[in-house]
Amino acid sequence: MSEPVDDEALVKRFPWVQITHDSKHLFRGWLDERLLINRCDNCSLFHHPPKPICPECWSSNLTPTEVSGRGVIHLAMFLRQGAPAPDVDYLKGPHPVVTVDLEEQEGLRFSSTVVGCPVEDVKIGLEVELTWIERYGSPFPVFRPRTEGAS
Amino acid sequence: MARRNPMRDEIAIVGVGSTKFGRDAGGVSPASLACEAAINAIRDAGVEKSDIDGVVGVLEPGAPRANQMAAALNLPNVTHHSGPMPVAVFGLVDAMTAIFSGQCDTVLLYYAFTRLPWNSRSAANDPFRRYMMMGGGTAKPPVPEAIDPAAAYTAWASRYIHEYGATREDFGRVALNMRANAARNPKAVMQFPLTMEDYLSARMIRDPLCMLDMDIPVDGADAFILTTTEKAKALTPNPVVIHTATAGIVGKNDEDQLPNLSRHGQHVVIEALKERSDIWIDDVDVFFPYDGFTIITLSWIENMGYCPPGGAGRFMQEHWDDASGSVLINGRVPMNPHGGSLSEGASRGTGHLREAVTQLRGDAGERQVADAKTALIGCGGFFFNSQGAILKRL
Repeated sequence: MSEPVDDEALVKRFPWVQITHDSKHLFRGWLDERLLINRCDNCSLFHHPPKPICPECWSSNLTPTEVSGRGVIHLAMFLRQGAPAPDVDYLKGPHPVVTVDLEEQEGLRFSSTVVGCPVEDVKIGLEVELTWIERYGSPFPVFRPRTEGAS
Repeated sequence: MARRNPMRDEIAIVGVGSTKFGRDAGGVSPASLACEAAINAIRDAGVEKSDIDGVVGVLEPGAPRANQMAAALNLPNVTHHSGPMPVAVFGLVDAMTAIFSGQCDTVLLYYAFTRLPWNSRSAANDPFRRYMMMGGGTAKPPVPEAIDPAAAYTAWASRYIHEYGATREDFGRVALNMRANAARNPKAVMQFPLTMEDYLSARMIRDPLCMLDMDIPVDGADAFILTTTEKAKALTPNPVVIHTATAGIVGKNDEDQLPNLSRHGQHVVIEALKERSDIWIDDVDVFFPYDGFTIITLSWIENMGYCPPGGAGRFMQEHWDDASGSVLINGRVPMNPHGGSLSEGASRGTGHLREAVTQLRGDAGERQVADAKTALIGCGGFFFNSQGAILKRL
């Protein structure tokens, strides 16, 4: 794990994201290719996107906790046009955007794209796992179809 | 009725004013459109500047703020002014509660909508629009994977299709209904007919939704004058009263964290409307389900109780009127007779509200529903802007 960057450096690493004091841990995790989801120290429930308190028990004792990134696609759409990103070329084909039910907790979801398979294979119900690509020079979490036996 | 509703039928809409709607109003500001609609509404109501002591200006991108409108119209004594967020019923609720509570007696409620720079080439080429952003603006551009409020409807449409086996034709019927109705509304921007073949061959934007599943951005404005029902009776022979109106959200309303399609903002709205009212769908003469995206319309139809979950496509097919090319529920009740956001123009619900008032006044011309007494509006979507209202002729 690299040295944690200060707030100023963090903002510079993600100029395309609106980072707040509530979400800074999430993006610090990205720099180490770790998906850190807020977990409540009091009631143990995860929540996402990051909030200042646990929405369940209102505790402010939250620990950004690494999750496996494994899960099942819950929502799936395919953008024929959309916001620009250096790794996305809409002319080459639809860009999949999925919302994944993470295995850590029912209804805990993370949204991103899917790589490593033909776009036709991206479907609701597909088991996926986390992987990382580079976007604007910083790590960006994405999903790929789950490979049997991999952790 | 199980909840208190002291405001029931106590607040009335006595004036309606609009601009023409256009895909390019051409060189006019949102403030100009808002003023035109406001003046039309004020004249329609027959009130004076000095009567208007409340100004509610919904925070559409680029729209003038309430104080700016009060300045533009030189309203001399305003005791309530506010800026609710879109969509339409937030403004209605703010205006009616302000009047009922005594903060003011007569409200100018206005909405000005403007095509944003990314909505069209001509809007992008207008240098005076470059500052306009939805939701008050953010310095950061969106990313492809953002499950923002717009993209989220497509994402959840994928779930709806997955759970119910809905077909593209189910979605297409929503678009066809609105387009056929728009042909009877001179204000509507989409005046050319639409066939199912056209729908099925339309360009995909975010698969599973295509261009014709999304509302059509316009330049335009709507305005309303509201006052107490008691005052309304002296102003007009045909006041339209607000039986009840409400917003509704659930706790888990972040777009991709919504637990499921079986309980979200629409359900909270519907429960509140039913508990505050004796009027429900069997009593409704004209139905206004929001249609910013077709999936929202399907959901309103189902959640209101017209048919079971997943059944809206079939319901529309069963209640399709071949003569008009549109839905007539039980051969009688139309759905968005003005053409909705899909075909009149994306007024984020103000068109629905305006048409409800127009129908209840009996002023809807060739699209008038015979003896329309009650209108049901389901406004907004699933996440942060679900709303509803029941209006009735006094």
